[in-house]
Amino acid sequence: MLEHLRVLDLTDERGLLCGRLLADLGADVVQLEPLTGSSARSAPPTAHGGAGPSMFWETFAANKRGIALDLDSDEGVATARELAGRADIMITSLPEAWLRERGLDPDALRAAHPHLITTVISAFGWTGPKSGYADCDLVVWAAGGPLDPHRDEERPPLRISVPQAFLHASADAAAGSLIALHARATTGRGQLVDVSAQASLGTATLARVLSHDVGDPQPEWHRQPTAGKDQSGSGAATPNRLKKWRCADGMVELHLSMGPASGEFTNRLFAWLHSENAVSDRIAAWDWTTLPQRIADGEITEADLAEARAAVADFLATLTKRQVLDAAMKHRLLCMAIFDVADIAASPHLDERGYWAQVDIDGVPVRIPGTLAHVSGDAQPRVRRRAPRLGEHTAEVLADWLTAQEVSV
Amino acid sequence: MTRALDGLNVLDLSWVVAGPLIGRALADFGARVVRVESSRRIETARLMQPFHGGKPGVENSALYGNCNAGKLGLTVNLKTEAGRGVVRDLARWADVVIESFSPGQMAKWGLDYAALSRDNPSLIMLSTSIAGQTGPWSALAGYGNVGASLSGFQHLVGWEDRLPLGPFGPYTDYLGPRLALVVLLAALEDRRRTGRGRYIDVAQVEAGVFFLSPQVAHYGFDGTVAQRRGNRDDVFAPHGVYPCQAEDGKERFVAIAARNNAEWRRLAETMGRSDLADRADLRTAEQRRARADFLDEQIAQWTKTRRAADVEQCLQAVGVPAHRSASSADFAADPQLAHRGHLVRLPHPIHGQTTVEGPRYLLSDTPGEVTRPAPTLGQDNEYVLRDILGYSEERIAQLTEDGVLV
Repeated sequence: MLEHLRVLDLTDERGLLCGRLLADLGADVVQLEPLTGSSARSAPPTAHGGAGPSMFWETFAANKRGIALDLDSDEGVATARELAGRADIMITSLPEAWLRERGLDPDALRAAHPHLITTVISAFGWTGPKSGYADCDLVVWAAGGPLDPHRDEERPPLRISVPQAFLHASADAAAGSLIALHARATTGRGQLVDVSAQASLGTATLARVLSHDVGDPQPEWHRQPTAGKDQSGSGAATPNRLKKWRCADGMVELHLSMGPASGEFTNRLFAWLHSENAVSDRIAAWDWTTLPQRIADGEITEADLAEARAAVADFLATLTKRQVLDAAMKHRLLCMAIFDVADIAASPHLDERGYWAQVDIDGVPVRIPGTLAHVSGDAQPRVRRRAPRLGEHTAEVLADWLTAQEVSV
Repeated sequence: MTRALDGLNVLDLSWVVAGPLIGRALADFGARVVRVESSRRIETARLMQPFHGGKPGVENSALYGNCNAGKLGLTVNLKTEAGRGVVRDLARWADVVIESFSPGQMAKWGLDYAALSRDNPSLIMLSTSIAGQTGPWSALAGYGNVGASLSGFQHLVGWEDRLPLGPFGPYTDYLGPRLALVVLLAALEDRRRTGRGRYIDVAQVEAGVFFLSPQVAHYGFDGTVAQRRGNRDDVFAPHGVYPCQAEDGKERFVAIAARNNAEWRRLAETMGRSDLADRADLRTAEQRRARADFLDEQIAQWTKTRRAADVEQCLQAVGVPAHRSASSADFAADPQLAHRGHLVRLPHPIHGQTTVEGPRYLLSDTPGEVTRPAPTLGQDNEYVLRDILGYSEERIAQLTEDGVLV
């Protein structure tokens, strides 16, 4: 759908995903690297304890062509600037000072090429009091909101064990670039798209970042969680040990949610247990949509809840992850097997949907996610090529792009 | 001022988070978005925190407000044929339809893409669900926490010596709409040039796995299965979240990392610990990773008598990555977010004022703008039916009398 677009990609690991998304949708995305190679080529996870290829690079640079130039020479920089003139969109996540020294910053490029959309991805934003802050995934995760409420009881807040913050920002950068492209169809002009990873993360907090401003003084994650308070279905207030259950071959995630929003799911769970003779008639008769009131009234006690939980624990311990997943679908439950990447790789569902692409990584054929979404017609997003080797397409890209006309709108 | 998506009409039949966030972004940049919902079967987001004044109520949710700001609100009972007729009329008006019902539900109502595109062949319709419209898991119900389990994130958050904790909230609800929006905007660009309509099927599980592409590839390459590891990093050390002085009776924390050996030395010296900075067995990241428990203790000793904001400032002053673990009060007062105008305060018909997040990316020439708060239930019924669909007063009165507009 974007086959008519040329994208010059000057990102490091903080912005690498953005160009991959546009490439999957058809754009001709060219990753421009210095002769020493992008730092994203060594971004973790790397194989063989750091000596092998970067899986980050091999997946998020896939589908791009690669060009290497001496960006410390006048000639190399002049070529880079010329390439920018042939591009519709230039994406970067490199430091402002480095770009300015070379006249590759958005101001300089847009002055020379008014049609060009320049998209900058940074930790905090292109300008502003924290734009010069030293950053990394954890620090942005702390600044953007999702870290603070996320605690396993008394321990400090926890991040996700693999970096995510700049992936959120990079996906937002692709959307922002395409919105600017729509605007260009009317205005004839490119513009600056300024993406802040910190700001991108607000939406990863279930609006918790707004609680202070709207005067919710006791949002649920600041309260000591107690049975019966969790009504959201997301289980944010429930202590972790009450949400994880052992099954025959691993772990299961299940909230016994109650209240009007999602108590029905728990009703169905107990109906299933009852049909398997795994719970008493008395507990099976509870209506979990109205349970909070009955607990508040003292009609149902902690001991009753413990009995209900024990019935669930005993029953789940007899089932495999696959059986739990099948039952969740059959009975429409909020009850889910906890998958690791091996389970994901073996998923019959993802296979049947044609989710995977295969690329060569260091001589090994490896399946990587290849489907942003399923699109009708002849427009299926897909991976056409593996990540480029350093300078692999330099001659080819210079021939293609520099003989092309500057984009006219 | 030109708005990037001026003239784009969107019918939003989605609910909770993953679907509504897509239309929200389109509204920010000028699209006219009609959000259809039921006043009888209240959508889940309206029942979720945070609430205005801390009080639960269907018009009080800031989560609903954040996902639906800028949209027009219409209440329709989709269980009635007349209600579905209203939706069909809106789908003829729309350039884009977004929905997030259980797979198959739209077809049962005769509102699937095949039906809606018959009268509007250039329609772009996007369905978002947990596992997608087809395949053995398409019957899966639930929110993004189900998506987080099946895409591998539940397994990848937590302390090594404890059960997996999983990410905060329904994590794939934050990922699905980001990828969905990119694909939808590409389809709109294609439609602008060719006039072609499209059907787009987005699955939260697939979006989630996409955000773990490197880890999935690592497994395919050499069988490595990524594991949870607290706040530790593959490369950087130290790397953690440390306790600070409590403020107003609340525990406070600060995130700190050293990305290279020079940053480690500056961190140690700022802590007044040149003994650590000089130690030969802490010089490289590999050495420091091997002594991470020791280093975490030393850093925590230093941070715990200090305010989180002070630690952030003194480390940033020497170029070491650090930031307080931001509470919602910090987020609201953050000078960087204020510089970007990220929190937008809007007049609200019930609460006087409400706050939503602004657009996540700043466009210099055609900036996004939040023009109004999320609709109250049925707020725009008249306007949508009369001014957008051109229904007569009599017809609207009849629909009202027949209980269709609830």
